[in-house]
Amino acid sequence: MLPILSLIVLIPILFSAVTFFTKTKEQARISALVGTLITLVLTMYMYFSFDSTSAAMQFEEAANWIPSLGITYHLGVDGVSMPLILLNAIVIPLLIIYTWNDVRAAPNRFYALILAMQGAVIGVFISLDFFLFYVFWELTLVPLFFMVNIWGGANKKHAAIKFFIYTHVASLVMLLGIFGLYYNAWSLNGVPNMDMAYLIGQFQFLESEIARDAIFLALLFGFIVKTPVVPFHSWLPDAYSEAPTAGSVLFILLKIGGYGLFRVMLPMLPFTATPSLMITIMGALGAISIIYGAFLALAQKDLKRMIAYSSISHMGYVTLGAAGLVSLSISGAMFQQFSHGLIMSIMFMSCGVIQTKTGTSIINNLGGLAQKMPKLTVIMVLGFMASLGLPGLTGFIAEFLVLTFSFINVPIYVIVALLAIVITAAYHLWALQRAMFGPFNEKLGDIVDISSFQTFSMGIIALLVLYFGLNPSPVLDMMITNSEHIVSLMAVMGV
Amino acid sequence: MVDLMLLAPEITILVTGLIVLLAGLFLSAQSKKILGYIATLGCLVAMLLTISSFGTTAVMFSNSLSIDALSQFFKIVFLTVTTLVCIASVKYTDGNDHADEYYVLVLFATIGMMMVASANDLMVLFVAFELASLATYGLAGFEKKNPASIEASMKYFIIGSLSAALLLLGIGYVYGATGTTNIEGIAQNIDLLLNSPMGILSLVLLIAGFGFKIALVPFHMWAPDTYQGAPSLVSALLAAGSKKMGIIAAFKVFIGALIALQADWQIAFAILAVLTMTYGNIVALSQTSVKRMLAYSSLAQAGYITMAFVVMTPMALTGGILYALSHGFMKAGAFIATAAVVYMVTSENKDILNADHLDNFKGLGRRMPITALSMTVFVFALSGIPPTAGYMSKFILFSSTIQSGLVWLAVIAILNSALSLYYYARVVRYMYAKPTDGDRVSEPLPYVVALLLAVAGVLVIGIWPEPFVSMAMEAASVLI
Repeated sequence: MLPILSLIVLIPILFSAVTFFTKTKEQARISALVGTLITLVLTMYMYFSFDSTSAAMQFEEAANWIPSLGITYHLGVDGVSMPLILLNAIVIPLLIIYTWNDVRAAPNRFYALILAMQGAVIGVFISLDFFLFYVFWELTLVPLFFMVNIWGGANKKHAAIKFFIYTHVASLVMLLGIFGLYYNAWSLNGVPNMDMAYLIGQFQFLESEIARDAIFLALLFGFIVKTPVVPFHSWLPDAYSEAPTAGSVLFILLKIGGYGLFRVMLPMLPFTATPSLMITIMGALGAISIIYGAFLALAQKDLKRMIAYSSISHMGYVTLGAAGLVSLSISGAMFQQFSHGLIMSIMFMSCGVIQTKTGTSIINNLGGLAQKMPKLTVIMVLGFMASLGLPGLTGFIAEFLVLTFSFINVPIYVIVALLAIVITAAYHLWALQRAMFGPFNEKLGDIVDISSFQTFSMGIIALLVLYFGLNPSPVLDMMITNSEHIVSLMAVMGV
Repeated sequence: MVDLMLLAPEITILVTGLIVLLAGLFLSAQSKKILGYIATLGCLVAMLLTISSFGTTAVMFSNSLSIDALSQFFKIVFLTVTTLVCIASVKYTDGNDHADEYYVLVLFATIGMMMVASANDLMVLFVAFELASLATYGLAGFEKKNPASIEASMKYFIIGSLSAALLLLGIGYVYGATGTTNIEGIAQNIDLLLNSPMGILSLVLLIAGFGFKIALVPFHMWAPDTYQGAPSLVSALLAAGSKKMGIIAAFKVFIGALIALQADWQIAFAILAVLTMTYGNIVALSQTSVKRMLAYSSLAQAGYITMAFVVMTPMALTGGILYALSHGFMKAGAFIATAAVVYMVTSENKDILNADHLDNFKGLGRRMPITALSMTVFVFALSGIPPTAGYMSKFILFSSTIQSGLVWLAVIAILNSALSLYYYARVVRYMYAKPTDGDRVSEPLPYVVALLLAVAGVLVIGIWPEPFVSMAMEAASVLI
């Protein structure tokens, strides 16, 4: 049997090294495209042979790594990680096609970083050992740091350092939580073991209630900073808006924070000393993010910052749905991660095109772009509509599931979140109206529409948004299987 | 009957040193290049001998030397650093008429460090300690036309001598109370020191004595000036090698001999560890000289290693010992990379004063791609980004702190670790994101070889740590 999971991590990393040593832009982009396409093919193969009715780990690989510390090389996928791997495998080749004709310094490094990022992110999703998980988790920081630092906007220095240190601190706090789990199980059973499922299972046997809550909160902090959730979001607008378009898209594909909520936090939640408090924290933070992000998005003058804040608002649904604790609200939250990755890619790519063609992303300096850029407008409007939750597109399904089913357990937060829907619609439509429609702003000069490469990559993503909006079951089924599994684990303990 | 084969690594280094010394008399300045190769070869042979005999246990010479996993592990650390330094020095000493003295001093310093690792008697320990110190005093002033180098050497010499005096006084008190200088003998007669003011006094003196060498705050004053002023490769030896000598000596004396006074010295080390890491990291934030920044970062790293004394579990000692090895690779590598930059800058402009200024690292990614990439690996390793040796060591050390319930210490260490990322990332930013008008320069081969070896070390320990972890565990089991 082919070690397919190892391959989908190793191939991007290997091609990253190859790309780094290429001499010209042509070689760099071709090498990058080949690497990501191989990953895509392997992922598709994995997806089609994936059994979506089983909540168990599939394609597992395990080998001893550091036996003296109980660390193993343990990989596997289930319905929580499969859609996210699929998302990365699909969008990253399209991202490379999108940047095909871009002119920038050191293209070999640029593409090498994209590939390294893909390897690291997929690595996080398939790691079933906390040590390995943390290694990949931290590795995702490095390419993004360089990405913002080298090709970022005017304020890149500040944004890169802020992002790096902010999220690194959060990861370290999470690491403390992992240490807590690790030594708890070690002292209980006398053998070191870093296996995720095992450590999560041993969490309930920790005697001290304070320690259980502290470990839970430490891990939660690590995940929600990455998600991000208000009030730990302040690194995001700077990093997203200063990053080059490809960097912003990579940030969007970095769904590891939300993933951690499903993989680690939810199975642990019932065994904390105060589960209801933890639910309140997650639900409240989710609802606050939704409404606060929406209000801030409304106030932004810069299109890219508006999209960044709308991303905070959308990620609030993930936290809220997770706190909903019913299988369908959790599936909705998982689906939101998938859908958000697609939609935001379109939005950042559109914004990137506007920025390069007009030289600005200040909404009021744009205007009437639809006349000059009809192809972009079609795709962009579809992206915006999906983002504001228009039925028939992916965003609607996710938000519908989250809002409807979270109401069972956390009704108050759902009501708060519902208020944001109007604002969400308002800032999306208002931005579209000012930037794309109305009379053309003559100051912008002569503007041409997006290239065929860009049309291709953005068009495919737009079609996927439409496809999964009409027929979500190819990814939603496996999500539901796994959320039912998570909920059944909780129910056993009477929560 | 003493089996001299057990001392084969030390003997190899000694013989190599003598060969270099003799050969230096007859060689011209141009052909002294070969001495670098001889020294490197000697180190490699000694390292192979040490690794092949790893795990042998023996005591020699009336119980004054002990060969065990702990001493061998640290010998590997010292030999690694010396090897890297010798390789890189081939270029540094190229054409220098004093190359023979340079290599002799490096090799003799290494013997001193290795003997400290094996010492089982405080007198042997002190003599070996001084052998290493005296050799490095000379090395720090090797660039005798450079005022900064002379200042570095003087400062290091004066403060080092003072600390040696304190150390000797401390040893004297221990001897006076227990009647022996043998480490096990002291441990057996420790009740004579317990509850007596002499015990506390000797602890204070010993901590101060070793604290100077490890550069613990507040005994660190010499370190930044010396590391900055000394030739970069000597700084590599000092920071990566000689500092570890202080650590192994402290392991032996405090854990081996004075374990009964644990409650007293543990508090002292807790305070020193926190002070050192915090001070080192905060001051490093504002440095513009890369060598000085590395000096302060080296303080911080020493602070982390000192945590092993505070936690004192087998796991923590494993972490501390592994950290010593990792730090050897990372810090030596970082100083060698700086040395390569200094070499490049001074070969462009002979009179430049601060060749290690951060501005000289601008655009290094384009000018010296291998050096820049290696430096990136080293600084990320120093800040604990996986999958590097620095992460692995921090993982074991910090997690053992949690295990023993010292959550506050782990939190302080982790916050420090996050803080350090700022100044490490700044170097990377200068190398890759700052424009420069300088051209691509060809990187001297010796530097490149040394850098790549260090990078390999950092990554191998990070990715496949099992053999190193189990070696460190074996070494730690000697202590507890």
